[in-house]
Amino acid sequence: MSGAQENVEPKQLDPAAKAELDRAFEDFYREHLRDVYSYAYYRVGNHHDAEDLTEQAFLQAYRHFDRARRESDGRPLRPWLIRIAHNLASNYYRDRSRRPQTPLESADPIAARHDTVAIAEGREELREVMENLKHLSEDRREVLIMRFALGMDNREIARALGRSDGATKVLIHRAIKQLQEEMSDD
Amino acid sequence: MTEGTERKGGWDVEQLLGDALRPIEPPQRLSGRFEDTLAAVTQAAAEELSDWAEELSESELRALRDPRNWVRPVVAVGAGGVATGALVLLELRRRGKRGTEGGLRSLRDRL
Repeated sequence: MSGAQENVEPKQLDPAAKAELDRAFEDFYREHLRDVYSYAYYRVGNHHDAEDLTEQAFLQAYRHFDRARRESDGRPLRPWLIRIAHNLASNYYRDRSRRPQTPLESADPIAARHDTVAIAEGREELREVMENLKHLSEDRREVLIMRFALGMDNREIARALGRSDGATKVLIHRAIKQLQEEMSDD
Repeated sequence: MTEGTERKGGWDVEQLLGDALRPIEPPQRLSGRFEDTLAAVTQAAAEELSDWAEELSESELRALRDPRNWVRPVVAVGAGGVATGALVLLELRRRGKRGTEGGLRSLRDRL
């Protein structure tokens, strides 16, 4: 992904404030790296581009981190960060006119929530749901990624997408309903 | 099909999505790569400021002696200091990977 060498220095601060900002950003980075990487991976479908997109998202976040903190008024910054990743992912497709190159089901999921037997028994269903996910429009697929891969609630998703809470709730409902219908048709 | 994912009248799609869309652990190398990139762009910003200072002509230097023109250099020196400070912190952080987290923080706090 290009543009890594853009000016990313945040607004000039005195050294003490800059040190505090860097420490806060370091914590922010650790806290949200997995979220951004998961989102990026499920959007672009391969680890190489997911790494690039994640790096770009955090560089942009670093550039505007001070202002975002001041303007957040104490609200979580995760939706803002995911919105950055969302915009980058949209540009990724628009600029390069390409689609995911690797099947999403080849990801290495975290297996902590299920034992091996359960995963083996459910593999065909999981493959099927991932396959049907591709048939959804981009915005429907995206809200499902935010909801299920990142565990974001409706309000967070609404802020990340710049939509109202109500519109987001409807979008999620329709996405799940369409997926249900796709699964039933198979 | 397993119990619990196919209910009477249809699939439990939310359950399936929860199982299928699991968080993906980023590779270990990603953090190091991000720090390197951040260090590189910080270095570039510092060098740019340095080049700007070296390229001043005699007339520009005379102009800088005019107190009315002092704002820009003062800002530039401040920015250079901040950029250099950030670079030092990132370098320490990279070196500190061999040590403990607490060691890095205490070293940085002493600077």
